[in-house]
Amino acid sequence: MTDATSTGARPAIGLIRSSLLRADATVLLRSGRTLLLNIAVPILYLVITNLHLGHKGRGFTYGSTGFTIGLALTVGLMSSSLMGYATTITHDRDAGVFQRLRVTPAPTWAIMASRLLVQIAADLIMTVVVVIVGGIIHRTTFGAGDYLLLVCVSIAGGAMFLAIAQAVVGLVRSAAVVDAIGRMFYIVFLLTGLLGSSGILGSTAQEVAGWSPVGAVTNLYSGVLDLAQWSWTDSYGLIAVIGYTVIGAVVGIRWFRWDSR
Amino acid sequence: MSSTTGIDGAAARVLEVDGLIVRYGTRTAVDGVTFQVRRGEVFGLLGPNGAGKTSTLSAVEGLLKPQGGRVVVDGIDVERNPTAARARLGVQLQASSFQSELTIEEIVRLYAGLYGQRVTKQDIADRIRDVGLGDELGKRFKSLSGGQQQRLSLLIAVIHQPVLLLLDEPTSGLDPQSRRQLWDRIETLRADGGSIVLTTHSMEEAQAVCDRVAIIDHGALLVVDTPAGLIARHRDDPRVLTVARGAVTLEDVFIGLTGSDIRD
Ligand SMILES: Nc1ncnc2c1ncn2[C@@H]1O[C@H](COP(=O)(O)OP(=O)(O)OP(=O)(O)O)[C@@H](O)[C@H]1O
Ligand SMILES: [Mg+2]
Repeated sequence: MTDATSTGARPAIGLIRSSLLRADATVLLRSGRTLLLNIAVPILYLVITNLHLGHKGRGFTYGSTGFTIGLALTVGLMSSSLMGYATTITHDRDAGVFQRLRVTPAPTWAIMASRLLVQIAADLIMTVVVVIVGGIIHRTTFGAGDYLLLVCVSIAGGAMFLAIAQAVVGLVRSAAVVDAIGRMFYIVFLLTGLLGSSGILGSTAQEVAGWSPVGAVTNLYSGVLDLAQWSWTDSYGLIAVIGYTVIGAVVGIRWFRWDSR
Repeated sequence: MSSTTGIDGAAARVLEVDGLIVRYGTRTAVDGVTFQVRRGEVFGLLGPNGAGKTSTLSAVEGLLKPQGGRVVVDGIDVERNPTAARARLGVQLQASSFQSELTIEEIVRLYAGLYGQRVTKQDIADRIRDVGLGDELGKRFKSLSGGQQQRLSLLIAVIHQPVLLLLDEPTSGLDPQSRRQLWDRIETLRADGGSIVLTTHSMEEAQAVCDRVAIIDHGALLVVDTPAGLIARHRDDPRVLTVARGAVTLEDVFIGLTGSDIRD
């Protein structure tokens, strides 16, 4: 019936990995509404900002195409990698989905890695769609090099928000509390990014905001769109993103619990 | 029914639990439990709510790291080599679920892969049809009835022909027909050489399917014997006689040994 490995042998990791990826990708695609929302929200943001701010060139200034698209992409990353991921993980933990997976021979890192990879893939799809739409709305065209760089930033930024989410679900067990914290982070991150980076609150606030998760990623996005203008702010952004990712990952892995009891 | 005395050598044992201790914080859930399960045996773990049955199984499954003792599955130390041990185990958890967005066909495909089975679409359909879920292939797990969910969990538990099958309250919530069907499945699995550990609150079930049973309470193992042996041994126990109504049953022995108080 099957060419199964003999009973009790350690199954091949390749088969385990592909089985997990296939299932996780299916789950993500099935949650169509979430997926759509993750793309619709940044696009909505692009449309609104276009009405207000119009077209002011590519560089890093508030309201410029680079900044606007960068912030839109960051909002998209937050929706899926911070909120979406944290919600799914707590839900599956509460339901006992993880416990069932863990009693199989699949290594626990493979169970998690598969989910992370699928999330990152979703972030990349979001990136490409948002950049295309953003280019149309803001009447700018992006070259292959631009896309490549933006995709790289999305990987880094997506990983950072995933790491932050992982830290939250590691430290908090209750699904309701995780949900509340996720929303709070979303709003606080967005406000610091939006208000701080705008310079409305002064240059100190702007500098501080550049170190916040949203500020850092947004700066990176706009930085790679205008490499000639790459500044210290952008380098700080890179350092901040790496820092948040490492801290989030360490906390999230060290304190993660597979069951909610 | 197999004899209660003398376990012949390591090869005859498919599971050895030795001095197992499981704590949650300061609370000791399993307190030095020791028992062995023979190859080809159906072994029942009985005990009131909170006795430590699920915790014992969790240690065998490697879901938690025990604070003391040793668990050996088919000659493999669970703590030292959890992956190899898990590959030999088939598991149906007391409380577990599958990703709610997946159809049962996709769930079976996922778990087949996790246990190293390369299966075709046809294989999967055949297996699902075998357990009477042929019409539900495209349904989600949540939309199945309780009995259908149990059948799917059992199908997944045996998908890789495990050396040892662990079933935590497999018949809770089942109607009499489904329960009998599950007993038949257990008989078939045993006839095919499988070994099974199950927990249950039904003494009738323990008597019907188990070769031997262990009664545990407050994390400690009280007795291990065949159901008939237990009755014979405790027929004249005053604790048992006070609760017996007529001929002593396994339930009388159970209540006699574990007390009549309700556990929280
Ligand atoms: N994850 C956990 N965290 C803290 N305490 C736990 C946890 N799991 C179980 N316990 C406690 O350990 C004890 C044993 O629980 P266990 O689930 O092993 O009992 P059980 O025999 O399976 O009971 P039941 O028949 O109700 O399923 C109980 O007092 C329970 O409250
Ligand atoms: Mg239990």
